[in-house]
Amino acid sequence: MKRFTLLIMSVSLLFAFSCGKSGDKLKPGDTIKIGFLGPMTGDAGNYGKLMSQAVKIAVEEQNAAGGIEGHKIQLIVEDTEGKVEKANPAIEKLAGVDKVFGIVGSVFSSCSLAVAPKAEASKIVMISPSSTHKDLPGKGKYIFRDVMSDALQSTVFGKYLAQVEKVKKVAILYVKNDYSQGLALDFKTEFEKNGGTVVAVETALQGDKDFKTQLTKIKGTNPEALYVPNYVAEIAQILEQAKQLGIKVKIYSADGFSNPQIFELAGDLANGVIYTNAAERKASKGKVEFMKKYSSKWKENPDAFSLNAYDGAKLILAAIKKSVKKESDGSLSIDRAAIQKAVAVTKDYDGVSGNITFTAEGDLVANIGIYTVENKKYKQIKTFKLDGEKLVEIK
Amino acid sequence: MDLFNIPANELIQHLINGLTLGAIYSLIALGYTMVYGILKFINFAHGEILMLGTYSGYFLYYMLCDPTKGGSYVIIAFAVSLLFAMIISAILGITIERIAYKPLRKAPRLAPLLSAIGVSIILMNLASLMFGTKSKKFDYPFDNTPIHFGDASITPNQIMILVVGLIMMVSLKLFVDRSRLGKAMRATSENQAVAALMGINVNSIISLTFAIGSALAAVAGILIAMEFKVYPTMGQLAGLKAFIAAVVGGIGNITGAMVGGILLGLLETFGVVIIGIPQGLKDTIAFSVLIIILLVKPSGLLIKNRREKV
Repeated sequence: MKRFTLLIMSVSLLFAFSCGKSGDKLKPGDTIKIGFLGPMTGDAGNYGKLMSQAVKIAVEEQNAAGGIEGHKIQLIVEDTEGKVEKANPAIEKLAGVDKVFGIVGSVFSSCSLAVAPKAEASKIVMISPSSTHKDLPGKGKYIFRDVMSDALQSTVFGKYLAQVEKVKKVAILYVKNDYSQGLALDFKTEFEKNGGTVVAVETALQGDKDFKTQLTKIKGTNPEALYVPNYVAEIAQILEQAKQLGIKVKIYSADGFSNPQIFELAGDLANGVIYTNAAERKASKGKVEFMKKYSSKWKENPDAFSLNAYDGAKLILAAIKKSVKKESDGSLSIDRAAIQKAVAVTKDYDGVSGNITFTAEGDLVANIGIYTVENKKYKQIKTFKLDGEKLVEIK
Repeated sequence: MDLFNIPANELIQHLINGLTLGAIYSLIALGYTMVYGILKFINFAHGEILMLGTYSGYFLYYMLCDPTKGGSYVIIAFAVSLLFAMIISAILGITIERIAYKPLRKAPRLAPLLSAIGVSIILMNLASLMFGTKSKKFDYPFDNTPIHFGDASITPNQIMILVVGLIMMVSLKLFVDRSRLGKAMRATSENQAVAALMGINVNSIISLTFAIGSALAAVAGILIAMEFKVYPTMGQLAGLKAFIAAVVGGIGNITGAMVGGILLGLLETFGVVIIGIPQGLKDTIAFSVLIIILLVKPSGLLIKNRREKV
């Protein structure tokens, strides 16, 4: 009896392995799977929700157009909760069980950095809509992003504050995740290089709600401005508590501030905050249409990252379409290397987020916009680009 | 005068920050400690009861009024919502006890503890599913403009948290020590079988304990929500910290919970400010304190070591 069980087990194991090998060949009726990786629950759940909804629209559009070669597209959404320890099993599932051909994600830089090696090894094109950490595109040739790099954002902002706004003393309060820390430290280097002084660098943990200790310390250093390159849940608390403690300095932030939830959480306190984000690129025809479609379908407005997520999904789907081959036995073979090539050569793609061109590394070519908030509405006030080391304003 | 190279007014502000943070821990710790005191069982779902109570109060509050408009109507609506939240929490507490803990009352101690953790996970995820994961703002029903004195400031809500904490502590203590029901509770805590023989309805006393503990959680939840927003995981870390506070003060001891909470808040603040522990390691302070207390004085600071009767 024991021997019989063993036999069954080894046969099924063998079967499992052989299934694994033929993953890139689809039988008629099989779906082509792509994945979304991001926080769907937890504090940051709103980011993932908004972005995954955009990806869903892209997938539905492709399916409405007949899928790819008659195969329907199936979207697998995996929840990271914004945490590395949840992102790792999620990528294992997407790569090993679902065998997806592309991933939109991950959302947070820390998760994207953690899952990139697995995506690279499994030859899965990953386009992050929101991970802005400077090291991400360097993680492999299958790793892309259609969001601007932090390195660019913080370099431009460091120069901008010192050279254009002529601010001398800045305090920084950042949350210890790859996104905020990367921005804060790069900004510090750049700002100091341009003659500014950083009077205080305070940190907090992801999920913290109480920043009063840090803010009290910051207040004691009398800065002219406070730089808070975090996500909105933290920024809202910081704005409120800074006001409670009587800190009246100008507040600067980064693209994490562009989630409209800030207006619900911080209300009028959001007014006057200045932050960086990718500049509005060449106006795209599709944007208005997509915004309309999104808000009528999901009853809420997309954030900037959702536009990126939609474009990322579109790029992946178009690349898959170019990389399929109908075999004589009716199956469909998909060449993962060809998908990578098709995405890598993206140039002047007219996406809803704007014009998309990838650098050789897989990073987005972008200009930086300086934005502010007036009457709870975002408004772009200036646009800059880097010409070598020089900050150039684009009028 | 500058202590530790920190200007005096900054030090005062840190003191206020620490006190208010500690008061928040105390508020939650009171509920923990009360259930433990009676049942010798740590209700790890306490944080989730707090969260669900807060949500129910939140929904009623915004259904009744638009808090941004202000006025006396908003205060009435707030009071009604608070009461509603307390009732919902109490019902929830009793229900959870009946479903998840009562069948395990005779089981080894680990079983109800695990059941509690299970309930906690279920409720948290259920809340994420039903209410979404977005943080929601709980507007103050009153003007929360900070009161400045010198360079330091405190907000009315922070004062309220401190005061409510004190009132809750004193009234709980009076209730448990002086009232007939309190006496029944203490008897149940000593020995359930004997208490039952004396004509005490042990089941209803336990239900009452859960009802009071949970109703207090709702009050704490709403006060905290105004400060830190409403979200499904709001009970989690605060609950954990409050648990530590309760253990530090001597779990089961009502004054101890209050003292432990305040102490923890102050330690966290001044550990960072004076000793210079990196802010990123702030939570470590709480857990280190827990370990030290468990090693040195496991019964907690405010409980005299009693000899077990054999």
